[in-house]
Amino acid sequence: MFVTTFFFSLSILALSAVVLLHPRVPLHFVRIHVGVSGLPPLIALLNLVMKSTSRIYGPWHLDPLAWLTAFFVLTIGFVVQRYSVHQLLGDRNYRQYFALLTLTTGSASVAWLSNDLRLLLACWGVTLLGLTWLIRLNRDWQVARTAAVRAGRLFALSWLILLIAITWLSMATGHWQFSLVLTKASLAQLGSWGRTGVSLLLVTAVVIPAAQFPFQRWLLDLVVAPTPISAVMHAGVVNAGGMILTRFAPVFSGDLAQIVLIVLSGFSVLLGTGTILVQVDYKRQLVGSTIAQMGFMLIQCALGAYLAAIIHAVLHGLFKSALFLQAGSAVHHNEQVAPKTTSQLWRMIGGILGLLVGIGFWFIVNGKGYDMISALLLGWSVSFAWSHLVAMGYGRIRRFAGFFVFTGMLIVFGIVLTTFYVLLHGTVPQGGIQPHLSVIILVLFILLIGSVTGAWLSRHPSSTFYAIVYLWLVRFGEPHRDSVESHPEYLQLRSTLGGETRWMEH
Amino acid sequence: MDGTLTFSEQLGLKQEMEIPDVLDLVSTSDIPNLVSLASRVIAPLGPISEFAARSPWMGLENQFFDEVARWLKDIRDVDIYPGVSLLRDAMNRGEIDPKLLDKGLQRWLDSQSLQLPRDVAERFCRAALELDDLPSVLLEAPELKNLIGKLSVIDLPIKQQHSLQTLSFRMEQQTGVKLARDLDRHVIKWCKLFLDGSHTAWSLPSREEGFYRAWHRLVQYDPALNHSQHQLLKKCPREAIDALMEALAALEISPCQIQHYLEAHLLSLPGWAGMMLWRSQQTPEEESLLIEYLAVRITLEWALIKPYLPLPEQQSEDQSLHVRLIAAWAHWGDLPLEAWSHLSASQQQAYLTLAVYFDEFLRRRIWLEAWEETYEERLKAMITSKQSISHAETPVLVQVAFCIDTRSEPFRRALEKAGPFETFGVAGFFGLPIETCKLGSSHSHASLPVMLKPQHKIKESASAFAFRQYEQRRQTVISVKHTFQIMKQNVLTSLLLPEVSGPWLSLQMLARSFFPRKAGRTFRKLRHEWLQKPSTELSLDYMDSEVGLPIGFSEEEKVYYVRQALNMMGLTKNFSPLVIICGHGSHSTNNPYAAALDCGACGGASGGFNARVLATLCNSPKVREILGNDGISIPKDTVFVAAEHITTLNELRWLYVPELSEAAQEAFDGIRGVLPKVSEHVNAEQLSRLPSLGFRFKHPKIEVQRFAEDWSEVRPEWGLARNAAFIIGTRQLTKACDLDGRVFLHSYDWQKDDNGSLLSNIIAGPATVAQWINLQYYGSTVAPYYYGSGNKVTQTVTAGVGVMQGNASDLLVGFPWQSVMKSDEEFYHAPLRLLVIIEAPEHYVERLLAHDAAFCQKVQNGWIRLAMIDPKGRWES
Repeated sequence: MFVTTFFFSLSILALSAVVLLHPRVPLHFVRIHVGVSGLPPLIALLNLVMKSTSRIYGPWHLDPLAWLTAFFVLTIGFVVQRYSVHQLLGDRNYRQYFALLTLTTGSASVAWLSNDLRLLLACWGVTLLGLTWLIRLNRDWQVARTAAVRAGRLFALSWLILLIAITWLSMATGHWQFSLVLTKASLAQLGSWGRTGVSLLLVTAVVIPAAQFPFQRWLLDLVVAPTPISAVMHAGVVNAGGMILTRFAPVFSGDLAQIVLIVLSGFSVLLGTGTILVQVDYKRQLVGSTIAQMGFMLIQCALGAYLAAIIHAVLHGLFKSALFLQAGSAVHHNEQVAPKTTSQLWRMIGGILGLLVGIGFWFIVNGKGYDMISALLLGWSVSFAWSHLVAMGYGRIRRFAGFFVFTGMLIVFGIVLTTFYVLLHGTVPQGGIQPHLSVIILVLFILLIGSVTGAWLSRHPSSTFYAIVYLWLVRFGEPHRDSVESHPEYLQLRSTLGGETRWMEH
Repeated sequence: MDGTLTFSEQLGLKQEMEIPDVLDLVSTSDIPNLVSLASRVIAPLGPISEFAARSPWMGLENQFFDEVARWLKDIRDVDIYPGVSLLRDAMNRGEIDPKLLDKGLQRWLDSQSLQLPRDVAERFCRAALELDDLPSVLLEAPELKNLIGKLSVIDLPIKQQHSLQTLSFRMEQQTGVKLARDLDRHVIKWCKLFLDGSHTAWSLPSREEGFYRAWHRLVQYDPALNHSQHQLLKKCPREAIDALMEALAALEISPCQIQHYLEAHLLSLPGWAGMMLWRSQQTPEEESLLIEYLAVRITLEWALIKPYLPLPEQQSEDQSLHVRLIAAWAHWGDLPLEAWSHLSASQQQAYLTLAVYFDEFLRRRIWLEAWEETYEERLKAMITSKQSISHAETPVLVQVAFCIDTRSEPFRRALEKAGPFETFGVAGFFGLPIETCKLGSSHSHASLPVMLKPQHKIKESASAFAFRQYEQRRQTVISVKHTFQIMKQNVLTSLLLPEVSGPWLSLQMLARSFFPRKAGRTFRKLRHEWLQKPSTELSLDYMDSEVGLPIGFSEEEKVYYVRQALNMMGLTKNFSPLVIICGHGSHSTNNPYAAALDCGACGGASGGFNARVLATLCNSPKVREILGNDGISIPKDTVFVAAEHITTLNELRWLYVPELSEAAQEAFDGIRGVLPKVSEHVNAEQLSRLPSLGFRFKHPKIEVQRFAEDWSEVRPEWGLARNAAFIIGTRQLTKACDLDGRVFLHSYDWQKDDNGSLLSNIIAGPATVAQWINLQYYGSTVAPYYYGSGNKVTQTVTAGVGVMQGNASDLLVGFPWQSVMKSDEEFYHAPLRLLVIIEAPEHYVERLLAHDAAFCQKVQNGWIRLAMIDPKGRWES
């Protein structure tokens, strides 16, 4: 019942987007369209909560994971379209923006609902195409065009690789359905050689849209995109890798592909974080952050922690789109943090608290494999947040409020994680292959090396080594030379072309 | 008066740009002088959080507007006359009177000594004035080329002398190697890293040693340059001036060209250069920042261009000019190509000369002037026909002083209609040259027009206990933000940040999307309730401070400033029981340009603080006593209060209401009673101007609140767009007119100004602020990509101090595209130069022009227009 309603609401949405494109339709139809775009995510949410389905339904695979992803992508689509109503008002491509946003987010949501691999490929292809189109919608602007072309090429490459991987898989197993391909029996036909091959192809196909090293260029150049488009891109497209790897988890084997993925992603985490450290443009900092976060998500996938990866992908999407949409507030105002007074005791409490929370977490989740990394991050973050919110600063009110915020954060964090766990438990492959201890140590090593080097460097800012690392990080985060223009000259073009008048006929 | 000139005069002036006396050799001591001369081509640019309008051409007012327009087109391909489409739109909307356009043409034809029959010339000019392009079929016709071959002996009246461009730019034009773009990219990178004010975790190493030194130390490791460039740059001198001289010498720039060469470089990225210039004016330690900037830029240019040196000679202009001229005659003057061979040499000369003079610039100039005259004519008709007869004396209940800002005009009009209220217009800093320091802040804001320097510092203070509590609450808010920032910058914590803060951010995002108005107001309210700012006192009494400006005023100063402010308002007698001093500020969300909507006369901040200071001073019994002896006697019953006019919402917010006398209380209740109606009326007017999706708004109040709170709104209000005139005169003159929010109004009564000092103060202060605002809007409309800041949607905030377009660009100056355009196709701001109208006898204006050379120059050179209304109601421009 709800399933039909969902697809019905999607069709209505598609229809309203087409209607909106017609120049005769009055512009305020946009409001109705945006209203309509709020329906599908709502119905997806209902489906998710009611757990009405967890089955194959025609070409669809409707498990909670699929509904969650659809809900998430469509919500982003709705929020961004709502935002665009006023933000883009007056743009000459106003109508097209809404149509393409609907197309991009709609097809992305359908992609993750499909059981048929061909359908998935088609929908994912349309999403990438829609995104490229969105970026080059401002055709007059050469810089945007160049960047769109470069991104489009990489997208096409990623899509082709995915096509090859899927074709290989279905040729070997003889099926095009997820549910049939990913059975043990089918996969046995693939052979270990084939598994490695397909895994490697999948890894390549996902690191491109996730903007991982060495394919980060497209995302860095797409700071030219309008703010709402960036929000969609960073929330709904870059994290597709997490979905793809989770869906294909049974194929993915813990060998070469895993190491390749961990090395590339680990490197990206460090480079991305480095970009945040040195870059001064707000949107570019966000791009650096996305690269790092996506690297972390892929590491989680590589370690078999698919549930964690999905949670990260979704929350990061919401987090990043919110940060993009409020990019106008990044102007610095003269608000200074009061000089810090901190006692050793308060700090020590933070350290102990972090340790306790980390260990507690480890025991609660029955820690194995990846949870070691989770526990470390959690413990570290707790003691870090404690020292900045509570330990530092003076006065009772300040400490009390800090403590309140701190506890609130921790509680909400717990609730959110539990909710996700309850919703997705059972549908996300968990602990299929436990990663080897050495792999975990490799990840920990990468993260700790990054932290230690960073800490050492920030204490030696006058060293030559610092200068060199600094400049390399700056270079890493800078856009391509073709996509920079000193002044947006396309606006000049607009003011010189115009309509006709005959003033002499008076 | 509006600077009409014959062309020979203008062309003659082109050659005599001020060239400093440089001998064959330039010594290091000349460089600072040359740089400061060259800096006339850019305007200082402050941080965007205190956006203050500045005329982009303030250093060029000693030249004619037209001359600067031609020069900018030549050197930087920037056109500061309105584009053809803009002019046509204005014509279609009826904002340009065709008769006046025709009159402008006749006037020009009259001023020329033509060698052609008048009717031939007139026909040609009229046709050309349609602003059509020449058809390309005609321009490429082979017959035309043949004809040119025969005619080329004719000398044209202008020499095609080009302005000096940067070598990298020339190189790009000639060979297509994108050197200028690369150079810009490098310079943008270094500038933003150096100027960073957003506290990135890792700042540019050694930046405390200054721009040039930090750059010099680092550039040898820059992976964006190659090995030989590293070697070359490593050997550069350690001092910026030496490096600049060395680079100029290496590029073979002759001493007399240096200033122009520096100008060309400053114009490449006027925003970043402007920020360097602004910084160099702030502290003596950074005095030489602009020199350092040029040293970095030109040294980098040398390193990049070295492999390509020497550049091929610039080719002289081919015959394309002749082609255009003859084609123009064929197209507009019905002079077929064959006819040229029948003309005598002197006739040919005459034809070509007319076509040269009547070029594209002149055509659009005539259009622009017709547009300006049309506006003036209509304004004149309205003002002279609607002179309001002074009413039978109903006693005035409340007197309100507003800022001259154009947004005050609709509010004043509505308020005056609503009851016995009298309003005044005065610059929104109320003549107080102060630096303000809000409670708990370590930063002080210079709350006065940017061309003035603050003299006093006024601090907000509260009782020690209340202050400590407030400070702790404030610090909590800051520390949450700060913790988020630094968790983002740590490798380990950043990875968990989405999980920790994601739920909160998504809640906020959903709330802002579903209920933009309510969510925004709730967040604002929560913040307000949490902070509970205690009631504060102002440090008005003189205190000596060791560092910086003295705090507060001495008794004489208090009296002086109050007297001056009352004189400027023209409020020296007939005080009503309640006088409201009203500053103004704005409300917008997620808007980097929020400060641009605040009071320009208060350096891009709300004028509320200044209003509070003035009202408090006016209530001081001591001040009143001394003023009373001086002839300004303020009745005991009269109370001054301070308010803030929120321009986005058109509300008055009370900032300072002391204990009121009985009469004042009555007046206060009276005005409070009518304010909701006034707001509603003004809001409805404001909403009708803002673009929307075609709904009629039932509740203007709710809708303007949506504009103020919605985080996706790009036009929270129109600001001062469409400003066009500045009227200095009594309110009686304009009271009956609906001036459409386009006019700055300054109160002035010439009868109280015998020696003309008030008038000259108004011209030197408020009128100059208005002129800068006007020209900034003008520039943002006619050259939105160069003097405006482009599209808001694709901007990114950089270094916390400004915005760039797309991936990286110049630090953008001026207003965004959305602040001057209704849509991509429809303009909102009409680019007209400010018309100053003075209500005074003729000899007042003559005296003013004789005494104020700077103003006289602005008028003569076409940077501002002047008109006057004499006491008999005669209008003269």
